[in-house]
Amino acid sequence: MKKPILLALSFLMTATVANAASDYEDMAPEEILEALIDKTGSTYLNQSPQNRQMMPDNPAYWLVDEGEELFHQARGPKNVSLDGCDFGKGPGVLEGAYVELPRYFADTGQVMDLEARLAHCMVTLQGFDKKDPSVKKRHGSKSDFMKLQTYIATQSNGMKWNPPLDHPLEKAMRDAGEIMFYRRSGPMDFSCKACHGSTGKRIRASVLPNINEPDEWTKAISWPAERAGQQNVRSTQHRLRGCLWQMRHPQIVGGSDASIALISYWTDAARGQPAILPDLKR
Amino acid sequence: MVKQNSMKKAFVKLASCLCLVASVTSATAGEKIDYTKMSSQQLAEHLIFNSDGFKLDKPVQEGGTARERLVQDELQKSCSVVGNATIPADTSVKVMTMARNSYRYPEGGIKLGDWKIGRELAWSGYGFRAGHKNDDHSTTKYGPGGNCYNCHQLATDRTGGSIGPALTGYGKARGTSDAILKYTYEVIYNPHAYFPCTHMPRIGAKKLLTEEQISHVMAYLFDPESPVNK
Ligand code: HEC
Ligand code: HEC
Repeated sequence: MKKPILLALSFLMTATVANAASDYEDMAPEEILEALIDKTGSTYLNQSPQNRQMMPDNPAYWLVDEGEELFHQARGPKNVSLDGCDFGKGPGVLEGAYVELPRYFADTGQVMDLEARLAHCMVTLQGFDKKDPSVKKRHGSKSDFMKLQTYIATQSNGMKWNPPLDHPLEKAMRDAGEIMFYRRSGPMDFSCKACHGSTGKRIRASVLPNINEPDEWTKAISWPAERAGQQNVRSTQHRLRGCLWQMRHPQIVGGSDASIALISYWTDAARGQPAILPDLKR
Repeated sequence: MVKQNSMKKAFVKLASCLCLVASVTSATAGEKIDYTKMSSQQLAEHLIFNSDGFKLDKPVQEGGTARERLVQDELQKSCSVVGNATIPADTSVKVMTMARNSYRYPEGGIKLGDWKIGRELAWSGYGFRAGHKNDDHSTTKYGPGGNCYNCHQLATDRTGGSIGPALTGYGKARGTSDAILKYTYEVIYNPHAYFPCTHMPRIGAKKLLTEEQISHVMAYLFDPESPVNK
């Protein structure tokens, strides 16, 4: 159990936050958020003091612990752990892996996000069938997949988003994602920009993050996050699907190149800013 | 620690250069479409329509399939600009003209309906959502909603959004002359004649609300009894 330790740490550290603001790697998620609020005054970041208070006890930490166990357990038809899975920084290297996704993987010839890569390893390494619930059930705090994702992603807390763009495919996907972000269509003529292109605008009471403000956008893309309103830990792909649903666009296919292109663009937009993991959102 | 990290990075860079060579060869072998040979625009279209990116074959409320919702009409194409680039003047003129040509007025003139129904419609964000949960328009009393509150503050008894300007006190401030009724009807029907490339939907032109529903929403904006004007 990490929670009590984190809590204690956070009390000890509050005093040093102000001068350590340039380096977020040793800070708890709520401290990173606090530092970003101090720096930016963003109403999006600042919109829910109640949620911030809950962050030291974020229910997502349960998933981190369960995910850690699952990760190292021998599982699947081949009865091996995920320690051999390469998330881009070498087999089993999780620290800082998530902030450098999506990225190009030579073994598949594709640009993959965390979900796609995790599913790939569960199938190829552990031998799970694609349709096995362990691989197929992607949403909800009770799913293996959410637990694994939350554990892996949390190993990048406080690190700076730095998705590689060296490979031409990475660049191509990011640039196509940018076009998609601004592309209007559907019954309501929406593009993502309608809601995420300016600062401090609201849909009803929800303050919306602006993709042009990296130090605000970093929280927007910090998933997995507990969604207090849904009492479930949610993923990047789940957020994307939700916004498209509100837009009255067709359902996006999780793990598709279309989804990864959008995620490549949105991650690039937060480059250099610290990830807040796990996060807690409204 | 720091040193190790940068060494690792250098190694990753080296490795990714090597794969680059590999990907080009496999692409020339003709097994896969080479994304890097397309423009960003072409790749985006490819990802949307030809790569199993969306559930395109699902039926949608207006009839047909979800695919058609992703096909852009002239306005949507004209108004899709990357980043914060401003819309060129000639595009604005074109979009305004298209909007003016789209107007259809109710037979017998623009009338105000029942502000109470208008209030429900202005508040409701139900309708036309498709995919994992398809809205069923037959299950709501007044049909699909207008989403107005998502973007506008209207009466002060509910918190509205701020993507659009506050419309609190709308009728009280502007009166109910024919000119202002016509303007308001037109903005709701298709706002692009006044605000080219605005983010407000074309609520009449895209049949999101019927003429009758628009009359109720307008009553909510104009009726002296409506909470918008209290
Ligand atoms: C009609 C409005 C609207 C559009 C268009 C829209 N979103 Fe959102 N988005 C929201 C709202 C509202 C939230 C806040 C969370 C909530 O309350 O559901 C949100 C949240 C997000 C977040 C996470 C931030 C948070 O606090 O939850 C991301 C990332 C995001 N949207 C990306 C996108 C992308 C990418 C697109 C286009 C594919 C898009 N959005 C289109 C309304 C929209
Ligand atoms: C997605 C956002 C959105 C939705 C939904 C929306 N609007 Fe708007 N509306 C706007 C924006 C933005 C403007 C301002 C035009 C501009 O500058 O682009 C506007 C302008 C207006 C105006 C003109 C205001 C003036 O000062 O003259 C009226 C009237 C209006 N909207 C009514 C409505 C009604 C009624 C509905 C629902 C049936 C609605 N809007 C739904 C975004 C929206």
